[in-house]
Amino acid sequence: MTVDSTPDELYHDAARVYGAALGRLARAYEADAELCRDLLQEIHIALWRSFSTFDGRCSLRTWIYRVAHNVAASHVLRQRRARSQALVGLEELENMPDGNNILQAADRSQALDRLVSMIQRLKPLDRHVILSYLEGHDAAAISEITGLSLGNVAVKIHRIKNLLARQFQQGETR
Amino acid sequence: MTNELRNPAQKLWQDQPVEGITMSAKIIRKRAAKFERKILWRNVREYVAAVIAAVPLGYFLVTARDVFARVTFGLLIAGLTWMVVQLHRKGSVKSMPMEVSSLTSLQFYRTELERQREAVNTVWSWYLAPLIPGLLVYTVWSAIRSPRPAAWLGLALMDVVIAGMFYLIWKMNVRAGRCLQRMIDELKAESPL
Repeated sequence: MTVDSTPDELYHDAARVYGAALGRLARAYEADAELCRDLLQEIHIALWRSFSTFDGRCSLRTWIYRVAHNVAASHVLRQRRARSQALVGLEELENMPDGNNILQAADRSQALDRLVSMIQRLKPLDRHVILSYLEGHDAAAISEITGLSLGNVAVKIHRIKNLLARQFQQGETR
Repeated sequence: MTNELRNPAQKLWQDQPVEGITMSAKIIRKRAAKFERKILWRNVREYVAAVIAAVPLGYFLVTARDVFARVTFGLLIAGLTWMVVQLHRKGSVKSMPMEVSSLTSLQFYRTELERQREAVNTVWSWYLAPLIPGLLVYTVWSAIRSPRPAAWLGLALMDVVIAGMFYLIWKMNVRAGRCLQRMIDELKAESPL
């Protein structure tokens, strides 16, 4: 994939390489299965359109995640009025008592559902950071995509690790 | 990140079965056109709802016998039209903003929140004020047409109810504006632009 590729070629390669990650991302932003499919489609369309202005000033990965997360954040804002559940930040989530925590899940699918529902309680920017962390991105990449300072990303990742460690610790020792 | 380095949460996340989609250029063009039609129809529905609300006013405008009444209903229709156009322009989150690729998540999210805050903070000027001239002229016209205390009392009651509704709408928007401002302040604290 190069800057000289056509938008169609760029989109085709992006969907092939990042398709699964985009599917996971959509799931983390939308709980309803049908709306999730709509959101995923909206992300793909936005990506395809965006490639006509891709100039290579940032990496293709940064571009793809930026578009995907921004479309998803827009979706969250659109749905915010229709849904009453308040979104919280990482700090608040870290200080909340463990309710249905992941380590108590009966199987892998239930554990995943609980992880997703925990992510869906977060504000878009924190959701973005935790998703990037779960996808295995490093702090520098997360900082470039989100626009947060490297120090701020490091603090957030530290909080995410604590939060996830608390949720997974017992599960690991079983 | 190699598989060995992944922690349990990352493994659980990355190994989940996922329903991805891959579309050929031809299909995505079709889907994009369909998506645009969907947005267009949503907009058309909003405008049709406004037209339906304006129909009775239009009927009164056409059938009114004196100038005062025509001015009243004309002003109400103009106010309603202005309100709907502004509601469409400011009130909703854009379906697919052009900035999705050019802004970082922080900038994009903040821009969207600021746009919404601007809309709710100026609700008086674009949502409520456009209806006031028509309502005022209607009150004056009705008072002149029926110069009886009982009719004036009825008018006063109607105006109080409308003023109460306007106040409630304004208060709700002030509250929404404060909530949006808190979210913007949190983002500013995260990392100033």
